[in-house]
Amino acid sequence: MATRFKPDETFRDDFRYGNSETAILRFPFPFGEDAYMYGVNMEPHTRPGSAGVFAVGFDVDEHYVAECAERAKVLALEPGRCLVLPHMREAEWDTLELIMESLAADYPDQFTLERDGLDWTWTNRPLGIHHTFRFGDATTLPHPPFEYIVRQAQGDFTLQDQRDGTLYIDGGVATVPADWSLAFDVGMTFHEWHGPVPLAHQAGVFDRALQYLMRVRYGHPARRLNWTMTINPRLDTSPENYPLWGPDRASLTAETIGDRLFLRVELQSFFRLPRSNALLFGIRTYLASLNELTRVPKWGRRLHRVMRDLHPDIAEYKGLTRYRELLVAYLAQFDDGAPTAPGITPDCAALSD
Amino acid sequence: MMDNHTLTLVVADAALIAPGLRRVHLRAADGARLPPAAPGAHITLSLPGADGARPLRNSYTLVSADPEHGYELIVRRADRSRGGSRHIHEALAPGDVIDATVPHNLFALHSQAKKHLLIGGGIGITPLLAFVARLRETGAPFELHQIASADEIGVFAALLAPRAGEQVHIHGGRTSLDLPALLAAQPLGTHVYTCGPAGLMDHVEAAAAGLGWPSSHVHREDFGAAGGEPFVLRLAASDIEIAVAGDQTMLEAIEAAGIDTPSLCRGGACGVCILPVRQGEPEHRDHFLSEAERAQGCHVMPCVSRSRSALLVLDI
Amino acid sequence: MTNRPRYAPLSPFAQARAHLLLCDGAAIPDDAFAPGHGLTDFPERWTVAGHALVMPQPFGAPSEQRFRSASHLLALLRHRLAAETMGLRIYAVGSEPFVWDVAKIAREAGMGREEMRLFACGAPERRVACVHCRTVNPGVTTTLVTCAGCGAVLTVRDHFSRVHNTWMGVQCDAEAPGEVPPVEDLCA
Repeated sequence: MATRFKPDETFRDDFRYGNSETAILRFPFPFGEDAYMYGVNMEPHTRPGSAGVFAVGFDVDEHYVAECAERAKVLALEPGRCLVLPHMREAEWDTLELIMESLAADYPDQFTLERDGLDWTWTNRPLGIHHTFRFGDATTLPHPPFEYIVRQAQGDFTLQDQRDGTLYIDGGVATVPADWSLAFDVGMTFHEWHGPVPLAHQAGVFDRALQYLMRVRYGHPARRLNWTMTINPRLDTSPENYPLWGPDRASLTAETIGDRLFLRVELQSFFRLPRSNALLFGIRTYLASLNELTRVPKWGRRLHRVMRDLHPDIAEYKGLTRYRELLVAYLAQFDDGAPTAPGITPDCAALSD
Repeated sequence: MMDNHTLTLVVADAALIAPGLRRVHLRAADGARLPPAAPGAHITLSLPGADGARPLRNSYTLVSADPEHGYELIVRRADRSRGGSRHIHEALAPGDVIDATVPHNLFALHSQAKKHLLIGGGIGITPLLAFVARLRETGAPFELHQIASADEIGVFAALLAPRAGEQVHIHGGRTSLDLPALLAAQPLGTHVYTCGPAGLMDHVEAAAAGLGWPSSHVHREDFGAAGGEPFVLRLAASDIEIAVAGDQTMLEAIEAAGIDTPSLCRGGACGVCILPVRQGEPEHRDHFLSEAERAQGCHVMPCVSRSRSALLVLDI
Repeated sequence: MTNRPRYAPLSPFAQARAHLLLCDGAAIPDDAFAPGHGLTDFPERWTVAGHALVMPQPFGAPSEQRFRSASHLLALLRHRLAAETMGLRIYAVGSEPFVWDVAKIAREAGMGREEMRLFACGAPERRVACVHCRTVNPGVTTTLVTCAGCGAVLTVRDHFSRVHNTWMGVQCDAEAPGEVPPVEDLCA
């Protein structure tokens, strides 16, 4: 794995961020067809034969070091962004074990886990971490076990307790949230925390998704893609800080939209945790600007069609309304009307300029 | 371990601990770590069938599960064994290799319980042993009541000896436990967990409901009743007919006919094996379909359910 | 669809050992009860009297008990539930903040959602939590509220936390400062 990290990237203030050609080509483009509507788009994760971001439990890419630094900054400013209810202690250790095992297995050059009974030694070379600790004894780690390990993975995570025929969001870390608040949502049921999402409830999407999720088994993770848009490569679009990033939405122009508007994709993954029987959700966020994505001709055409025909309620929920007209007008130049192949994979092996 | 669907286990030890009860220790055949498991979890073993040909898949609760020291089961020899428990009792020996599923949990401790009341009958003690170990660890309030036949009181007392304490009680026969009085005395926020013969678990459920316990506070383990009257299964889409024997499940019969159909818990709880019914009257024995869905008669869980009609036609 | 609690008129649970009805005011509207049901279906009733002279007996005494305030009632409810056994059902009728305060105490006593029924009535009133500064603004009766903590004008999202007993308030003009929609009364 010859990933070259870009430790100088920033996700606030001067926004120094960009995707390499490799990163663009492996971007989890969320639109498999030219139109978008909510559906139960769950499927098995890390199935043999999967490639790119779908091949590993927890993807580590070129932004890893910079993103971990950004998330540490968010937690330093607001420690409450990581919050786990006391009955989820076992799930914290489950999460630590799962992420350590996965990273060590998928990226043996970067991460190592050595176990001698309950005495574990963890090495994270990209972040320069080397710790020996006792599994199950939180006093041997510098942070609580869940926070300790999620600080070393990209994206956010939530912990769900399964009881009373539903899932309760009883913990998590929300440093890079797409406008949802863990502090506010903690303790809600699956249907409650998804309450604000338009249209999907009527279609029964959440009922079926919940049934599916409650049956996710250990060793058989699942995933889905979700998306929204963000102005600037800003990871922390929390409702807490909405007064800071809200004005960005009114700031786009025809000249800046290609570089400054980012498609924000969440690779959501679902893991059954063995000791606690809890369910871990990974919410791994990928950002790519319109100008990066439209270097893939198929994606340029498709983005235009999806945004042009998007249901207004979905556009409103995702916060696109204020600049949608500008967006569609900008994307029109990439759509020559040619048909697009089904599926999300790029239609080119290398990028045009 | 993450993506493994099947574990290859080796028998480390198998000892008769009482007439008809065998304790089996399993480890990973390659010496690697095994997946951890929550108390209440079970694994499904692939065991040679009685006829020596078709393997049987039996689910057993994990009495203990440790990634390094392995899994522990206690298996009772069933009176009408289809071959699974008979094999474990008569043939299984240290060094034998067995395929198993990764642990799966359909009988979990409730995280919000103020107190856990455990009621076991006979070999139904197995998940409760795992529960007690966990509850002792966390210090959560609990009470265990184990019902044993008069001649087995000593067996269960010995099993519980390492976990003895004032919360642990053994009763000789069901009549020696005043279940309504026990349930009526429980503080608000108690959850009851029962495992054992279906009659006992039904009794606990009915007594709790009669005292106003909400069903969400009543938990039971059940891998489904095994056996019943034989019937004929017609698979409409595959255009074949299969005889389901009295000691065979519908799912086993379908698999034996070479039809690949998804399944998971094989205990009527997870819903994975659900199949559409075209004709006939299913005898539902699962805990997955709602009353309304049962009344419609459109689906059946072939892992545990059977047929009231001599012929059941499925849309597969 | 929104994450807005819904309330059904009250009727007693069919199978229960005991029933306790809690109200935050003496007057309960008729529509608080399902057709064919009324106060007398609930053998034990606790009501807020609103003066300091009453002396309720929270343990064991039958039928009607009167409490000095909602806080008084909630404090004694906590003690009562700590001494209760399984089979109890509780019912709360009153303002939305009150009924969810009752639900919170019941939940902390180990009761699940299927052991309680709630009916919010009267003029709509909400507790609104400012997501930016964490201040909880009580008694909100309009669609917009100026946060007492940070001064932001908050719009109330259709997102209610049953755990915190608050609605989510978000600055309404964050994207375009000064663009404030008209204020309206909350409708029932």
